[in-house]
Amino acid sequence: MRIGIVSPYSFDVPGGVQNHIMDLAEALISLGHVVSVLAPADDDAELPAYVVSAGRALPLPYNGSVARIAFGPVSTARVRRWLKNGEFDVLHVHEPLSPSLSFLAVLSARGPVVATFHTAMTRSRALAGLQSFLQPVIEKITARIAVSELARKVQVEHLGGGAVEIPNGVAVAKFVNAEPLPGWPGSGGAIGFLGRFTEPRKGFPLLRTAFVTLAAKRPDLRLLVAGPGDRDELYEDIPEELHDRVEFLGLVSESDKARMLRSVDVYVAPNTGGESFGMILTEAMAAGAAIAASDLDAFRRVLDGGRAGALFPNGDASALTSLLGDLLDDPERRAELASCARTVVATFDWPSVANRVLEVYATSIEATDGRVFDDEWS
Amino acid sequence: MPRMWWVVGVVVLAAIFSAYLGWTAQRVERLHARAQSAERALDAHLVRRAAAAAVVAEHGDRVELYAAARLALDADPGDRESAENDLTRQLRAMNLDPQDPAARALVNTSRRVVLARQVHTDLVRDALSARRRVLVRVLRLSRRHPRPEYFDIVEPTMPELPPPLTVPGPTPPPQRPVQAV
Repeated sequence: MRIGIVSPYSFDVPGGVQNHIMDLAEALISLGHVVSVLAPADDDAELPAYVVSAGRALPLPYNGSVARIAFGPVSTARVRRWLKNGEFDVLHVHEPLSPSLSFLAVLSARGPVVATFHTAMTRSRALAGLQSFLQPVIEKITARIAVSELARKVQVEHLGGGAVEIPNGVAVAKFVNAEPLPGWPGSGGAIGFLGRFTEPRKGFPLLRTAFVTLAAKRPDLRLLVAGPGDRDELYEDIPEELHDRVEFLGLVSESDKARMLRSVDVYVAPNTGGESFGMILTEAMAAGAAIAASDLDAFRRVLDGGRAGALFPNGDASALTSLLGDLLDDPERRAELASCARTVVATFDWPSVANRVLEVYATSIEATDGRVFDDEWS
Repeated sequence: MPRMWWVVGVVVLAAIFSAYLGWTAQRVERLHARAQSAERALDAHLVRRAAAAAVVAEHGDRVELYAAARLALDADPGDRESAENDLTRQLRAMNLDPQDPAARALVNTSRRVVLARQVHTDLVRDALSARRRVLVRVLRLSRRHPRPEYFDIVEPTMPELPPPLTVPGPTPPPQRPVQAV
């Protein structure tokens, strides 16, 4: 299939949407499809071979942050030329309702259009006001994908029309093959946490309580923490004598994240709420760590009801403490959880996520020109 | 020459209006054509699902499932929705063997039905909302097209089967720029 993908944001700056697009494009290419990605970029920027530049991106405040996007007559001309030269079977735009290349591409598109919505946009009133103005654009979109339950809800409530929920993929191979950090996990037990530990809903205080209790009886137990935040703030509430058993990595790169997850015996996700999917859990699963997570709906779903990771009652520090104790003492149970996790995470692996996206492409082509595909991609 | 300007103004307005009219007519045309294509696609996927269900029924000697599949295939347009719903109910109550290729094919076709139905519903809604526009109603721009109908069935999702035991290892992806969390 010839597939044209449009990124609203520049690849010069890393971000969730850009990563998603690159992973998707690479997965589609590895499945044998022809993919071209149109993205704003400086003309001298180094880009992957499948990316076509649509000109320089300008920083514009949008949706609460600054996005580097391209919009205007020059971009429109480039979008048109790219569409004409590409002869795509299907056009896949991301975040088409932002003032961006995606919007321009939908305007100029004639054939089947698939749109992916990433953010759960909250400025719904502005959007509702523009609804009748945007309708001609919205109705060019044949099929919609939402990356999370929340994004889907916003779709349904504010724009009318359903969306297929296809979660973000995880590049399993990157995690499976990562090298653990030197000296980790060691023999005395290692626990890991990744995230903004100062944010209450990430639940770090629960883990801290559990660790302090467990560390008193286990002289070699260590804690590995990564994520944005201030070093002093992390150590502030941990007793002095335990400081050398808590390692703080700070903000880590993608590859260090994989190494960090490979370095622990048990990965803990003590979140108390506000998670819509639990990307980090799929990554920990891919890395082969045993998981202890709070029993949020989202986590329960990702962990296959508790088969692929142990669950504890949300907010209960003593339950977490005893669960962690049990897991640390029982390597067999950890291995069992990890092997089950490996099976479950296969459904989140990019090639299989890309196959689900291909099904949406096929449905969208069918609804546009009446061709019906055999299920050759499923 | 104020009179002259008046005439020019009217001509320009008429030109704009007729351009808008042409664009709207084209839009109505396109939306109806798409709703029709989506309907054909949905029909094809429902047939494919019923056929896959019949194959599974034959393999497993499930008489009731076979009958439901047969009924779904033969139903008149008026009874189609309830026949498809019956089939969905039967399929959901089943325990499928993840190693059986016929069962996997059935789950795959069901997933395609879900997508086709979703897209069909969206496109029918777009077409109907275009039909409701004042200009379209007054000038009866949609008179040449039959009114698109929703296909009202329960969500035909089936639980995903666990992946087969032999999962091929993914190939390592190309180098990527380092990115902070």
